Amino acid sequence: MRKDETDQWGAWMAAAQGGHGGAYRRLLGELRQWLLRYFARRLPPGQVEDAVQETLIALHEKRHTYDPARPFRPWLAAVARYKWIDRLRAMGRERTDELPDTIGIEDHESDVTSAVLLRDLIARLKPAQQQAIRLVKLDGYSVEEASARTGQSPSLVKVNIHRGLKQLAAIVGQSPDDE
Amino acid sequence: MTSEYLLDELASGLTPVRLRSARRDGMMVGALALIELALFLMMGFHRPDMAHAMAEPSFWWKLVTLGLLAIVAVATAVRSFDPAIAPHRGLRWAAWLGGSALLVGWGIDATHHASAPLLARLEWRAGVGCLFAMVLLSLPMLIALTVLMRRGAPAHRRESALAVGLGAAAWGAFVFFFCCGHDDPLYIVFWYGLGCVLTALAGRALLPLVTRW
Repeated sequence: MRKDETDQWGAWMAAAQGGHGGAYRRLLGELRQWLLRYFARRLPPGQVEDAVQETLIALHEKRHTYDPARPFRPWLAAVARYKWIDRLRAMGRERTDELPDTIGIEDHESDVTSAVLLRDLIARLKPAQQQAIRLVKLDGYSVEEASARTGQSPSLVKVNIHRGLKQLAAIVGQSPDDE
Repeated sequence: MTSEYLLDELASGLTPVRLRSARRDGMMVGALALIELALFLMMGFHRPDMAHAMAEPSFWWKLVTLGLLAIVAVATAVRSFDPAIAPHRGLRWAAWLGGSALLVGWGIDATHHASAPLLARLEWRAGVGCLFAMVLLSLPMLIALTVLMRRGAPAHRRESALAVGLGAAAWGAFVFFFCCGHDDPLYIVFWYGLGCVLTALAGRALLPLVTRW
């Protein structure tokens, strides 16, 4: 990471804090590449993409804590490090049961596309995530419309969709094959 | 969800944000603290023998120790809500301050109360009341700092939580000090110390659960 590069990132973040979506989109694109490299050196390959997305959401939610008068790099590195440690702790808490030899290997596509099962799956999410996913992903409302209907901010709707879908994927992944 | 989709989602509909300022947070906390102290004194909760107590070295020992500890711990906590600032140095200062206070208290005790029986000097019944009052008085500061911590982005969540607990505890003890009629250093160290340790540990244990980001 070059100094002029991080100076540019700091300027883009300052613009994003003022509501400049274009600068923010460019910044996120470059940060994603940086985070991919950062986590690739620190996490198992299967965890890298999730860690990058979580960190991008954290950067988005906490962008008001960046002080434009100060260098961008320490702020970015601190957030990335925090999410890395958080993930390491989560990995430490996860159970590492041995998979049985008889475990099925069929995919879950039919289950996921089943409307009835999908409704059951969504019911396992937090109410705010359920609302956001139902309105935007199933009923076709825009994020702004969902925001108006639920009282959640647009950013929160997006975050709830993202986290809810991730949670759904985890639930599907953990479901036994005979479901 | 692909990262590209996520980036588009995050960037679309971006709204301006109000920047976090440690100075503004500090001023808000300071104002709240002064309001709490003023209300406490205006309600008549101050010791009647204040003028006499001010002649005792233990009065100034308590005042300076608790005031400094509260300032150091609260400043450490507020600063650490910035992800790029670690609270470790501030916590070390607070520990150094606590150790120094113990030494000074021991010196005062050696010159004033060395001959009294230890258990009688602890006054258990009064001590438990003091402990309860101190914890109660620490709650406004604890709540205010927790709100600020949730809005900030502490990258060392557990240490920040400890600083929050310690700062709130020291401030609660500082406010209570104005109505506490006990000047025995042993009593002060035991009950005030216990109140601070319990509140700090409670903050360290509970706050990380509600400030995850």
